[in-house]
Amino acid sequence: MRGLIVHLGPILMLMAGLFFAIGAATSLDLGSFRRMGPGAFPLLVGGLLCLLSLVALVDGLRAPRDVRRGDPWAVLGVVSGVAAFAFLTPLTGVLPATAIAVIVTGLVIPEFRWPHRLILSVGVSAAVWLVFITGLGIPLVAIRGL
Amino acid sequence: MDLLANLSVGLATAATAQNLIYCFVGVFLGTFIGVLPGVGPLAAVAMLLPVTFYLPPETALVMLAGVYYGAEYGGSIASILLNIPGTPSASVTCLDGYPMAQQGRAGVALFSTAMASMFGAMFGVVVMILLAPRLAEFALLFQPAEYFSVMVLGLVAASIVSSSGAVRGLMMVCLGVLLGTIGIDVNSGETRFTGGIQELRDGVSLVVVAMGLFGISEVMVALRGATQSYAGAGLTGRLLPTGAEWLRSIMPALRGSAIGSFFGTLPGTGQTVASFVGYALEKRLNRNRAQFGKGAIEGVVVPESANNAAAQTAFIPTLTLGIPGSTTMALMLGALMIHGITPGPRLIADHPDLFWGLVVSFVFGNIFLLILNIPLIGIWVRLLRVPHYYLYPTVIVLICVGVFGISNSLTDVWATLIFGVIGYVLRLFRFEPAPMLIGFVLGPMLEEYFRRAMLLSRGDPTVFLSRPGSAALLAAAALLLAATLLPWKEWLVRSARTAGRPRAR
Repeated sequence: MRGLIVHLGPILMLMAGLFFAIGAATSLDLGSFRRMGPGAFPLLVGGLLCLLSLVALVDGLRAPRDVRRGDPWAVLGVVSGVAAFAFLTPLTGVLPATAIAVIVTGLVIPEFRWPHRLILSVGVSAAVWLVFITGLGIPLVAIRGL
Repeated sequence: MDLLANLSVGLATAATAQNLIYCFVGVFLGTFIGVLPGVGPLAAVAMLLPVTFYLPPETALVMLAGVYYGAEYGGSIASILLNIPGTPSASVTCLDGYPMAQQGRAGVALFSTAMASMFGAMFGVVVMILLAPRLAEFALLFQPAEYFSVMVLGLVAASIVSSSGAVRGLMMVCLGVLLGTIGIDVNSGETRFTGGIQELRDGVSLVVVAMGLFGISEVMVALRGATQSYAGAGLTGRLLPTGAEWLRSIMPALRGSAIGSFFGTLPGTGQTVASFVGYALEKRLNRNRAQFGKGAIEGVVVPESANNAAAQTAFIPTLTLGIPGSTTMALMLGALMIHGITPGPRLIADHPDLFWGLVVSFVFGNIFLLILNIPLIGIWVRLLRVPHYYLYPTVIVLICVGVFGISNSLTDVWATLIFGVIGYVLRLFRFEPAPMLIGFVLGPMLEEYFRRAMLLSRGDPTVFLSRPGSAALLAAAALLLAATLLPWKEWLVRSARTAGRPRAR
């Protein structure tokens, strides 16, 4: 199983290359050498990516590369922070969404204590208001209903 | 004098209150980002990209450039005080900077890096003033075939210095180029690879890709990583080097600047290579070489003058050929394109205020940096004491607000998150995503010139080899690829370190 994961990177790249190359060849006009259609260039580059992926795959079979260990908590923290922002902004406006998103992302950092989380959350919201809304004058709804 | 006229145009642009303020904001943020290990100038420029929508192009570029070279100043502070480089190019500075700090000479080390940085940067600016217009004039002779080949050279150079190796770097370039084909093809008007999704018709936005790949995914990597803040005392002791130390530093600073300017101009190599080569070479030439690695002042002067000279000269290929010298430069090209300015040999002639204004702003920016780094050095030492976990949630939210603010689109926020996850997965599988961004920025131009060259040659693909200019550029790319088979990295690292390994903490 571990062996497969090591080779997953180049395999995914091979699939991406195939996706673009086959997509270009089947659904787009390739044109002629002289007057190339929209499909020609993606086909070429996609083919090149497939070729390079195969080289990397063979390379990996001879001398496997270590895969870095992911940190699911870090990914979860960031994803839920962004998700909180995206869900809350239409409901509450940008500033509350900002404050909540800062806290949500901060939750996964154990040494980050609650008082500090709250201070940062208020501070960043104030900074967003100051820089983006007042300073740059971007038309954002600061707090909905206000 | 032509040059004086040009410089006065530049002065008129750079010395406006608005541009001076944004120049200061840029170098301040650059130093800030450089001081903190974990978030680099690339992420900072990516995060500032949305702001450029609200600024005139020259102001935007002045600020983004300030972040870029400001980070070179800041990067050495963490190297000296913590033995952790704030930016990759400051890693060589650890070798002598940290021993100097341990001997109680941190003040001298910080002062001389600031002076060396200023010296290197000014050297780079002079090289840029003299070289860039010539290079642009020469490049006006280019036809589509040469443009295509010079881009291939730039992409190859960018991928071989990638930390994941040449093959994987090239794969990332290809992936970036393919990503750039999504949307409407300008030649035929046909949509490509949108899968029927309306939002993809205009292509994937550069801001979304850059913030995802370099903002979001870098935070994912750093968020829960072990970080270290500075626990040492404030700066005590001397700040000014002795007269003898000044004298000893002059030649190394000159050599470092020259090497830095060379590698900065070469597309794709940049500051890190410049500082390594500069240090390795100085160790062979310097009479004082036995002291290297034990706190020799030359050991901080050379890499800092080299990487700052390289940071300035990296603008030469970017602005004259449209070939980004590094990933951050690719983002700056992107910022120009957002404003409808096509980077290339016509840029200096068509937008003299932009080019010369930027050059003059470098001088102002470096003066600001000298002030920030010598009288105000205490701020940055104190900043190093702040725990890093304050930084990461802030970065995430600023990315969200920045992306959302551009067009009030939450779809863009989600798309950024998707690219963040893609970037994180790529890093796990040991694919460095930086070349992907360069491919993404250059891809549409690469295709355009490729198709045009084929049209002009009536469908004969040998045109790229039969035109001498194009053939020479492709040969250079092939040589670079062949050179990756040699173990350069080990040689450089070994020769930089043999004088005395940096002590483990």
